[in-house]
Amino acid sequence: MAKNVLVVDDSSSVRQVVGIALKSAGYDVIEACDGRDALGKLTGQKVHLIISDVNMPNMDGITFVKEVKKLASYKFTPIIMLTTESQESKKAEGQAAGAKAWVVKPFQPAQMLAAVSKLILP
Amino acid sequence: MSINLDQAQQTFIVEARELLQAMEQSLLQLESEPGDQNAIGAVFRAAHTIKGSAGLFGLEPIVSFTHIVEDVLDRLRDASVAVDATLIAVLLKSGDHMLELIDVVASRGEALQTPALEREAALRQALSAYQGADHAVAGVPMTSVVNDTQGDVLWHLSLRFGVDVFRNGMDPLSFLRYLDTLGRILQVTTLTDRLPALDSWDAESCYLGFEIDLRSAASHATLNEVFDFVRDDCEVHISAVDDTPFETAPGGTELVAQPEQLAPAPQRVATNSEAKPRDGNYVRVNADKLDELINLVGELVIASAGASLLARSCTNDPLQEATSTVSGLVEEILDGALHLRMIPIGDTFNRFRRVVRDVSQELGKDIDLLISGAETELDKTVVEKIGDPLMHLLRNAMDHGIENATARREAGKPSKGHLSLNAYHDSGSIVIEIADDGAGLNRERILAKAQERGLVATGAQLTDQEIYNLIFEPGFSTAEAVTNLSGRGVGMDVVKRNITLLRGTVDLDSRPGQGTVVRIRLPLTLAIINGFLVGIDQSTYVIPLDMVQECIELDEPQRQSSRDQGYLDLRGEVLPLVDLREHFSHEGPPARRQNVVVVRYAEHKAGLVVDDLLGEFQTVIKPLGKLFGALRGISGSTILGSGAVALILDVPALLSQIVQLEARTAQAPQSPSVVVR
Repeated sequence: MAKNVLVVDDSSSVRQVVGIALKSAGYDVIEACDGRDALGKLTGQKVHLIISDVNMPNMDGITFVKEVKKLASYKFTPIIMLTTESQESKKAEGQAAGAKAWVVKPFQPAQMLAAVSKLILP
Repeated sequence: MSINLDQAQQTFIVEARELLQAMEQSLLQLESEPGDQNAIGAVFRAAHTIKGSAGLFGLEPIVSFTHIVEDVLDRLRDASVAVDATLIAVLLKSGDHMLELIDVVASRGEALQTPALEREAALRQALSAYQGADHAVAGVPMTSVVNDTQGDVLWHLSLRFGVDVFRNGMDPLSFLRYLDTLGRILQVTTLTDRLPALDSWDAESCYLGFEIDLRSAASHATLNEVFDFVRDDCEVHISAVDDTPFETAPGGTELVAQPEQLAPAPQRVATNSEAKPRDGNYVRVNADKLDELINLVGELVIASAGASLLARSCTNDPLQEATSTVSGLVEEILDGALHLRMIPIGDTFNRFRRVVRDVSQELGKDIDLLISGAETELDKTVVEKIGDPLMHLLRNAMDHGIENATARREAGKPSKGHLSLNAYHDSGSIVIEIADDGAGLNRERILAKAQERGLVATGAQLTDQEIYNLIFEPGFSTAEAVTNLSGRGVGMDVVKRNITLLRGTVDLDSRPGQGTVVRIRLPLTLAIINGFLVGIDQSTYVIPLDMVQECIELDEPQRQSSRDQGYLDLRGEVLPLVDLREHFSHEGPPARRQNVVVVRYAEHKAGLVVDDLLGEFQTVIKPLGKLFGALRGISGSTILGSGAVALILDVPALLSQIVQLEARTAQAPQSPSVVVR
């Protein structure tokens, strides 16, 4: 069974690009449009990796990561933060919250795949 | 790797346009309330997302321009720059320019034309005034995957994973696997020396270390990058073993990053706008799929009607009950399916804020736009097509309706003009009102013009209402000076025609000195019609129910006289008749009893002579093929429960045929005083 990757971004084109890249590499993709939506998607199915944007309406990425870390069943799930601001502050915030991996936007699909494959196999 | 991103790029285009729309609205909001942090956040997020996504598709022009905009917005968010009218104007124009850039992508155009490039240069100049002194040079680092080809090197990697590595979601094993994709792992030694005694051993912690020999063409930096994510709490040493080290210092480079002192997350991004319902959980569905679904549901309605009909013909009570349950459910499905196509009119309304702002500045008038009923939902097609007529009506109201400040003060009105857009439900249809508090229409001037143009016979007695509505007639324009805005040849008749095409109506009410109200009445949906079934011979026709006024039986004496005269005396009123049997060339003798259906459209009334009245029927409209495009008096077809086809009558067309006929036979029209087309 292919592994599930949850892609959280308020931009549907980003979700689509990431989705296309991941599917081509053999992962299954679940999409969510913000942190609140994503938390809902975490129950009822196993998600093996989370890719989340930072700046989102309703619930931003940092808050979302903090919430994920509270969930017992997602204790060991890797989280990749997507940051457009290449500024260290966002990355640091994300890492403090528990998202140790990151990809800086804009990225090539191959870059995303490289980051993902460091963390899980399809 | 070739990944086809075309479709995603389409999504990006749609998304970017929506974001720009949202950005514009927030900017306008910011203009009226300069301190609104939510609006600043929303504007920033829009620019930010566009830049980020554009980068994914390598749309460099968009990225580099948006970067500057984002930079300015970031400073706005920091409060290092204050909101002022000039800044808003520059940002609005920047939004326009971004839209232009996106349109270039959408149309697969080459690049911007010179005027646009000049505009861009001017905007960059204007924006730079708001940028900080230390602003980053435009452009975003586009790091590409390094793929060095400098021959294989034997690397030695010493890895000591931190105890928290599992808890951080990292799996040491997957890093090893990843390394394997960069080269060939020759040897792995697992170090277990840090493993504690069993009783103090925590299953969730990592105590392992690895010594790895890797032969790879990758550079030191690439290998180093592999461990980016675990750098914080792991020790990583990478050194070249071969005698061809490239950039490694002898003895290996110390690559242990200092764990950064992490400040607690400042809650600056508190732009969680609860008030924006559109950020909710939406699924973007291709409109074609919806149409297909609705079409299928339409077929389902027809099929289930057929089943009910059959069930009724065989006396089987349980079967009848079952089919009636099915019919009920099908009706609910139909309602639900039609609802899927409904979108709120608000987005269209909000787009006009910018128009009103720009036009009022251009005209030197101070005009405020009030929007209400933005949540009113309309069929998607209607919403798309109503934009142009609304725009025209609004511009007209601003240009001709609302007076300039001096005239307003003289008339004892506040110098600020008011324009309002309102939408609401009214008995099965949607009404959109455009009201202004301007001077109102000039009754005499309209009448004079209409007579001059031969639209009205001299000496005809018209009500005010009738006179005002003359401005919707083709070839009518009262503006004395043709201004830049309206009066460019596209008249109100086009507005009316566009609305009629949507099966809607438009009328106008005006009070001298107080203003004008234009009311557009539109059907809730274009796919379904509440029809009235009538029979002629063996055929069935559908008359749109909202046009039916009453039904009367045509008795024998009336029948004779009406056939001779072509009209009926309806309680003292002249009612022109159309014998549908004759009109549609049905052969055979007329039925023994005939009925008249009195229909009304706009200000015209007529009686349609039919054989049978078969009652109301909700039905799905099926458009006629191109082949039947030239048919007069038929607007579509539908399928009855029995499987038979019924044609839907085009009442407005039938009525205008009568009016034309009358105008031709009676040289000097006496009673119908308004001549239409």
